[in-house]
Amino acid sequence: MNSKDKVLLVGDNPFHGISHLSQERSRVRGDTPTNPEYAAKLIGLAVQNGADGFMFSVSEKTLSILDVLRKNGEGNGLSLYAIVPYAYEYVRLAGANGGVPGLAKKLVREIVFSGNLRAAASGLNAALRSDLASLVKTYLLYEVSRVKRSASRRAKLESVILHQLLTDLCLGLGLDWVFKFYTGFLLKIGIVPGFNTGNFAFLVDKFREWRINLEDIVIAAPFNKVGFQMVPSREECEKALASLPKTNVLAISILAAGYLKPEEAVDYIAGLPNIKGVAVGVSKEGHANETFKLLRDRLS
Amino acid sequence: MSGDNLKIAVVGFGKMGMLHAGILNVLPRVKLTAICEKSGLIRRFLKKAVGDVDVVDCVEKLSGLNLDAVYVTTPIGAHFPVVKGLYEKGIVRNVFVEKTLASNFEEARRLCCLAEKADGVNMVGYLRRFCVTFMKAKELLDGGIIGEPVSFRAYAYSSDFFGVNGNSGVRTPGVGVVRDLGCHALDLALWFFGDLWVEDAKVEAVVNGDSMDSAHFNVKASGSVFGEFDVSWCVDGYRMPEVGFLIDGSKGSLNVNDDELSVSLKDGKGRKWLRHDLGDCVGFWLGTPEYYREDESFIEAVLKRKPVEPCFETAAKVDRLIDEVLARAGKIE
Repeated sequence: MNSKDKVLLVGDNPFHGISHLSQERSRVRGDTPTNPEYAAKLIGLAVQNGADGFMFSVSEKTLSILDVLRKNGEGNGLSLYAIVPYAYEYVRLAGANGGVPGLAKKLVREIVFSGNLRAAASGLNAALRSDLASLVKTYLLYEVSRVKRSASRRAKLESVILHQLLTDLCLGLGLDWVFKFYTGFLLKIGIVPGFNTGNFAFLVDKFREWRINLEDIVIAAPFNKVGFQMVPSREECEKALASLPKTNVLAISILAAGYLKPEEAVDYIAGLPNIKGVAVGVSKEGHANETFKLLRDRLS
Repeated sequence: MSGDNLKIAVVGFGKMGMLHAGILNVLPRVKLTAICEKSGLIRRFLKKAVGDVDVVDCVEKLSGLNLDAVYVTTPIGAHFPVVKGLYEKGIVRNVFVEKTLASNFEEARRLCCLAEKADGVNMVGYLRRFCVTFMKAKELLDGGIIGEPVSFRAYAYSSDFFGVNGNSGVRTPGVGVVRDLGCHALDLALWFFGDLWVEDAKVEAVVNGDSMDSAHFNVKASGSVFGEFDVSWCVDGYRMPEVGFLIDGSKGSLNVNDDELSVSLKDGKGRKWLRHDLGDCVGFWLGTPEYYREDESFIEAVLKRKPVEPCFETAAKVDRLIDEVLARAGKIE
């Protein structure tokens, strides 16, 4: 990859039945993209057309996709960007398990009985001492082990990215220690810390204020020519992007959730500084072929 | 106020409490001062996580903090005792309560009386009034784009309990689907059409024998408008809860939900809007943009000491309608 190359990632939203354009669109798509065999096929096609990797929320669904890729021998060399936690599932579980305390207990039980001895011991200890930092560490070890178990040995877990809901909640509450701990711990185990945010400009400002090294991390944030989900404005996000010391932003929502055609979206991204790569979801074989061919031709 | 900042507390630190706390903390002129949470586990973690915020276990301990406003984000069953305690103990005059205001109309009415005596700002968290698609729909309806409304069909669906059976150990919220999810559609209908009266209702159990998981009811609004509601948390394809309306009027129809809005007129004209087309941008994005707009409106009202909608009086009408639905369906007397 030369300095102009951008990392091209397959996003997982269609595999979870998500469309940020409208729920109606995901209902119309039906269940096909959520089938792990089909999803793995789409990733394989995207890779044949220029994709370098897969950005995904760690869930039973995406782990099954990694399993299929591994079994088919298609996951070799794939760059993995894993988003944790799969917030939607945890919010749903909180609702069905008596709220946040019920969910916390369920998660600790899951980790303890996961078979990952290091995480289990650390988790029990953290729960007994109500030690938040140790719990975060335990949780990260647990998620990393789940990904590594499912992925091909020759796939590379490039980054573990904190989910948007958690990143933005911690930003809102001013929990600088979470970001510092998360960054320090992942760097120590040789994984690039990542943050998915809907408040890109705010995050960049805060990280500077909290003296978190922006060169150590990757940031996944919406960038598109219509300013969809670019908070507080497209202009502010572009200004913050230009101010970064390093090319370390993964642009998401580049098609503004399907509002833009790939052809109109790609020129805007090509003109931005400090974009390390893009993640785009695909739900059909034609999309996987055409979109990644276009991205390869115009961004790589 | 602490300097120029409003001192705010959040009671109940579940998912809604976290969300509001995160937004409030970044709003200009607001300082998150205290969190009240009854779970010892969450309190222990909170004390370590948020150093400069008081963490207490009961509402009484909020007195003496000189608070400007309190957000009540507990489960619905606790709204009445918590808000009553806040007012009666003189802890605060300005109160925001997550929907629904109370567990029934009688409790809601009593909270309205207490709020009136307190003479502060009060608001209930019917956030869809702050969603750009519904805001635009309200503007178009008020402008008479489809003429006089004749009838409407409303739905509130989620897949939260789709495919769940009684043996799975999953618990549905005890308040039932009409109060938990259908309240949003009822609030929007009141906003769009004014007062409503329930004509007939059916509430059914799907998950467990005694749960209230789906409901169908018909209403009449002023001006001979007829409405039909369908509510369920057991519908496939609604990963996120969704509320929608199809409204027929004398000049055409309007179709709106959380994601999009379209108008189709009898003269052949029509238009469609997505969130993208409606300036759906806010100062800080947590959850959905409507949470920010909602909190911003409440805080502005507190700062300017002016009323804000939906206030307790408005929200109490939703509690009245839910009681009517449940009574018509034979679920309460």
